[in-house]
Order: sequence, then structure tokens, then C-alpha cells
Amino acid sequence: MNVASIASPELAGVKATTEITGAAKPGKVDLADSFAKALENAHNAEHTATDAAERFANGDPGMGIHEVMIASEKANLTVRYATTVKNKALEAYRELMNTQV
Amino acid sequence: MSTMDFFTAMEVSASGLSAERTRMNVAASNLANAQTTQTAAGGPYQRRDVVMSSVDVPGTRNTQFAQAVRGVAVTQISQDTTAPRLEYDPGHPQANAQGYVAYPNINPVEEMVDMITASRAYEAGITSMSTAVNMAERALGIGR
Repeated sequence: MNVASIASPELAGVKATTEITGAAKPGKVDLADSFAKALENAHNAEHTATDAAERFANGDPGMGIHEVMIASEKANLTVRYATTVKNKALEAYRELMNTQV
Repeated sequence: MSTMDFFTAMEVSASGLSAERTRMNVAASNLANAQTTQTAAGGPYQRRDVVMSSVDVPGTRNTQFAQAVRGVAVTQISQDTTAPRLEYDPGHPQANAQGYVAYPNINPVEEMVDMITASRAYEAGITSMSTAVNMAERALGIGR
């Protein structure tokens, strides 16, 4: 099973942006930073789910059906969390851009 | 990932599902071997029983919740040492000098009850898992 990874080259730029804006004051949470973290979590969960599905397909006796389903459900939730964080960040950005001067 | 999010509930449910799966396997093994008169260890098959223990949930170790929220695991599959059922059958190759054959100490009705219990407990685990997933999804919907 070859599922395209979430951390594709197109999204690698997100991390670079984080590094630039990473100059924010310490102790303050950066939206881009939290998105990068959410994305990393989603990537890890997605990797775990793919791994579980592969092990199940290969007949690994230690991998049950429910473990595969749970791993993919976790991946689903973390991806949706990352998407939600991204949407919130975009929303805030648009709100600022639409400020009347 | 923080230690007490909904994933913790999912981990706990998952450990329960794995334990019930093992219980189901053991019940199936007992049922399948209800007439087994010969084993590698000699003598008839002995009934197996699962021993479940509470274990740490991955991710909560070394936190204040490690002792509060516990997962479950089958830590041992013990053998029931009650005496085998003796049946008079002198023609059987496993019959002893008196003509009795030792059959496993298995009551199929008991095994069926065990299987139904495992099945219901699995269902309960799935329900608590779905509830945790639903709660997480509701949380994602905050402000939408």
C-alpha cells in the first residue's frame, strides 16, 4: 500500500516560514509554529496508520483489525486538527488584511 | 500530544479490545479442543483461562494520571488443572488399563458463555472508543 505522505515537498515551505517567523518573543505561541507542530503530529499519526495497515496486510499476528482502525482514526483526527488550526490562522490573517484604513 | 486528551481514552479502549480478542482466541481454543485426548505434554488438553491485569497507558507514564487511568492486558494464560473427564471406551487408543479415556475438563456451555462475554465486552470497548472519537470531533467543531 503506497499512500502519499502528508509532509509532501509542497508543504515543506510551511516549516521554512515557521523558521523565519520563529523570531517571536520566547514564551509566546506562534500560530505558524502551532500549525507546524499539528502538521508534524498529523504526519506521525498518518505514518503510524500506514505502518499498521501494512503490518496487518502482511499478516503480522500482533496487529489486530481494531489496531489498524484505531490508528487510522487517530490519523484522521490529527489531520483534521491540523486543518482546523490552519483554517483559524488563515481566518485571522484575512481578518487583518480586510482592516479598513 | 498532551497526556490526557481523548487519545488516552482511545488507548485504554484499545487495550481492552486487545484483551477481549485474546479472551475470544482462548475460548475458541478451548472449544476446538473439547475432545482432544492427546497433547505434546501428554494427557488430554487442559482448559485455558486468561489472566487480565491493569497496566500503564502509553503516554501517561510518569504523570499524575499513571495510577488513575489504567489500561488492561492479558498477562498470563493459565491452565485449568481440574481433573479430566473420564469416559469408558476400551476400544479407544488412548484408553487406560481400566478402559477409560481422559477427555479435557471442558464444558462447551461455559465456553459459549465466555465467548458471549468477550463479544459483549468488545462491543462495550468499541462504544467507549466511538464516544471518545465523537467527543474529539465535537471539540474540533468548537467555534464553527
